[in-house]
Amino acid sequence: MSRLLKFNIFRYNPEDAQSEPHMQEFVLEETDAMTLFIALNRIREEQDPSLQFDFCCRAGICGSCGMVINGRPGLACHTKTKDLPGEITLLPLPVFKLVGDLSVDTGSWFREMYTKTESWIHTEKEFDPEALEERMDNKDAVSIYELERCVECGCCIAACGTARMRDDFLGAAALNRVARFLIDPRDQRSEKDYYEIIGNDMGIFGCMGLLACEDVCPKHLPLQNQLGFLRRKMGITSLKRLFGK
Amino acid sequence: MTIVYAPAGKSGKWDGVLDWLQMLSGASLILFMWCHMLLVSSVVISPDLMNAIAWFFEATFMAQVGGPLIFVVFLMHFVLAARKIPFRMDGQKAIWQHARMMHHGDTWLWVIQAVSAMCILVMGSIHMWVVLTDLPITAAKSAARIQGGFWAVFYLFLLPLAELHVGIGFYRIAVKWGFVKDKDRPRFKRGENIVTLMFIGIGLITLIRFLFLATN
Repeated sequence: MSRLLKFNIFRYNPEDAQSEPHMQEFVLEETDAMTLFIALNRIREEQDPSLQFDFCCRAGICGSCGMVINGRPGLACHTKTKDLPGEITLLPLPVFKLVGDLSVDTGSWFREMYTKTESWIHTEKEFDPEALEERMDNKDAVSIYELERCVECGCCIAACGTARMRDDFLGAAALNRVARFLIDPRDQRSEKDYYEIIGNDMGIFGCMGLLACEDVCPKHLPLQNQLGFLRRKMGITSLKRLFGK
Repeated sequence: MTIVYAPAGKSGKWDGVLDWLQMLSGASLILFMWCHMLLVSSVVISPDLMNAIAWFFEATFMAQVGGPLIFVVFLMHFVLAARKIPFRMDGQKAIWQHARMMHHGDTWLWVIQAVSAMCILVMGSIHMWVVLTDLPITAAKSAARIQGGFWAVFYLFLLPLAELHVGIGFYRIAVKWGFVKDKDRPRFKRGENIVTLMFIGIGLITLIRFLFLATN
């Protein structure tokens, strides 16, 4: 006999003036290899078609189905119900704008973050579409690839105590993004240029080191190491700037 | 290359320097606190040994000059670290709800760090005032104070609060600045917990020793 799972799901539609934020209970029979993604789809199909949540790839690649699962931000498609107790509470990710129920708008946040951090290669070299691509040291390429694995689910931002207290804090996803360009040899920005972006309390010096970002990241990105690397790098740059070097 | 950096108008010129100062003042206070505890606990071995150490620090004017200096660093560290502590109700509510939601050890450790900081600011100031305005330090005088009752209770609160704050601070500096990498974090945390418990234990034994020490 499989378990009967009790879901407590946050319901609220900001577009509907009659809607009040509340928790709604759903009961569902657990099936083999059930993920929260499967469970939510079944609830929507069998019990309440108005339930809003985001999904796309169902394989931990698109980062759409981030939500707070029993208190911890995580991906619904990555979370198996057999690893959870019989009672499951689902909330939308905080920090981001609520679309409805469990669906949040992470896109606008990441778009703004990309603008703030100038998340593209800065170079004075003219692009020649005919030329062979410039070669890069394999070690650098591997390091960049490691940081590029971010799926922009927003879990690290929702789990961050600083981001919860300060709207202007960039958060681990953004700092990880900057670290990616910092090690890219094609980007000609100097450390002082990067300091202008993240060398402040909205950037790396605002991080209080609670490391929930590291602990909840569904892709297991090395966020703790990157944040430490950036703090040391920007810390040294701050001293260089102070002494005019 | 023309680059217009965002966020405009929010210069972080001093933010890096302030972060260094917060870390360095914290690190020096951690070092001081560990030395302080070891020196005071010398009373467990012998009151004469504690008296000799106290005499050395006064004869070299380290207590008279170093004491107030530590107090200045202590206040400076508070002002620097308080930049991150929410003093408004909405910020306090946000971090409290967040910690309760997350069930995440390191987030709770930060809450403990912030709350203990407030207690230590008041109690540590009182402690320093009482000791530094009544030099020289002797084992008998300290024992008399503890045996009065009030100070025994006072230190029973201050000891764990200070040691927790110091221990968490040490752990936080190491992981925040990347001196300890992700793979070593659980082991380092365990080690740090043991050190903190050890210092609380030494502190309790010292308090008990003062409680039963002859005061004349």
